[in-house]
Amino acid sequence: MKNIFALIVLALIFTVSVAAQDSSDHKHMDMKNTHHDMKSMDKTQQEITRNIDPKTAASIKEIVGYYLQLKDALVNDKSKDAAAAGKEIIDAFEKLDKNFLSPEQKELYVEVEEDAKEMAEHIGDNAGNIEHQREHFDMLSADIYDLVKEFGGGQTLYKIYCSMYNDKKGAIWLSESKTIKNPYYGKKMLTCGTVEEEIK
Amino acid sequence: MISKNVIKKIAHWILLSLIIIFIAIQFIRPDRSNISGQTLQTDISKTFNIPDSEFSILKNACYDCHSNNTNYPWYSNIQPVGWLLAQDIKNGKAQINFSEFGSLSRRRQISKLRGIENQIKDGTMPLPAYRLLHKQAQLTTEQKKLLINWFRETRDSISLNK
Repeated sequence: MKNIFALIVLALIFTVSVAAQDSSDHKHMDMKNTHHDMKSMDKTQQEITRNIDPKTAASIKEIVGYYLQLKDALVNDKSKDAAAAGKEIIDAFEKLDKNFLSPEQKELYVEVEEDAKEMAEHIGDNAGNIEHQREHFDMLSADIYDLVKEFGGGQTLYKIYCSMYNDKKGAIWLSESKTIKNPYYGKKMLTCGTVEEEIK
Repeated sequence: MISKNVIKKIAHWILLSLIIIFIAIQFIRPDRSNISGQTLQTDISKTFNIPDSEFSILKNACYDCHSNNTNYPWYSNIQPVGWLLAQDIKNGKAQINFSEFGSLSRRRQISKLRGIENQIKDGTMPLPAYRLLHKQAQLTTEQKKLLINWFRETRDSISLNK
């Protein structure tokens, strides 16, 4: 009798938890489709050489800004802040208006966006699990690197390489400064890394 | 003071209603249609060269939730287990679907391969609850090594900066 009772209670707990999961699944994702009405800006030298629309350049700059926030959060071992920045990155990607991209630009952008958004989502969903966030930051960094190579970063960026991370296979990150502060190890190995490239 | 008899009565009623609820939920049947019965051209085994030994581990341990073909066990007919399973399949396929792996861009394949490798390594996959019920998903150290190496080599072979 007791056993049956326990079983049934368990079954009910399961039921409730599944129902709860289901209802949270149905919650509609908040798709923010805000369009920034930017004042027409003068094209910077970079926009002319790369032939980037000012609106696009501004959106990329925003993505890079949140990426750098994420990087700093990981440097400081702050998992919660990293998660928040990850969510901002998703929004920033969604804000970029693809209508201002040339066909070639669009091809690369869409591919990068798909992957980067997924990485950012994992980072956003894993507050409290900083190692998991760092794994995804590795892949996200490769995406953002390709993005700024194509579109420019709106500021000078440095590609920094750490040979230790990922079973000594190495990983890169982007930084606004040449001073090495390692986001993959934080306090543990703050100064591991070498500057490989300057991206203007 | 509530007498012992009253307490007994209440307990009986509670038990009875729980049994009735349990029987009632059996009639709310989840979707059990994740059986396409075919291997698509986009299946990971068609996208890359995968040796039989690695592929059979992958099929036995991962394909229930990460492909278009689930082997439904008998207890998936009992609720709420069946619901949980349907939920796991839905979530699993949203993350990675080995049946359609070939349709992803190379960049995303690389990311996925990397993620899979990490999750096998740190034991987050296959899911602990699934491992409890499926002997085939309880991977030995040797099996893990085989899979991890294959995923790593495959990722290196399509690496973007080649």
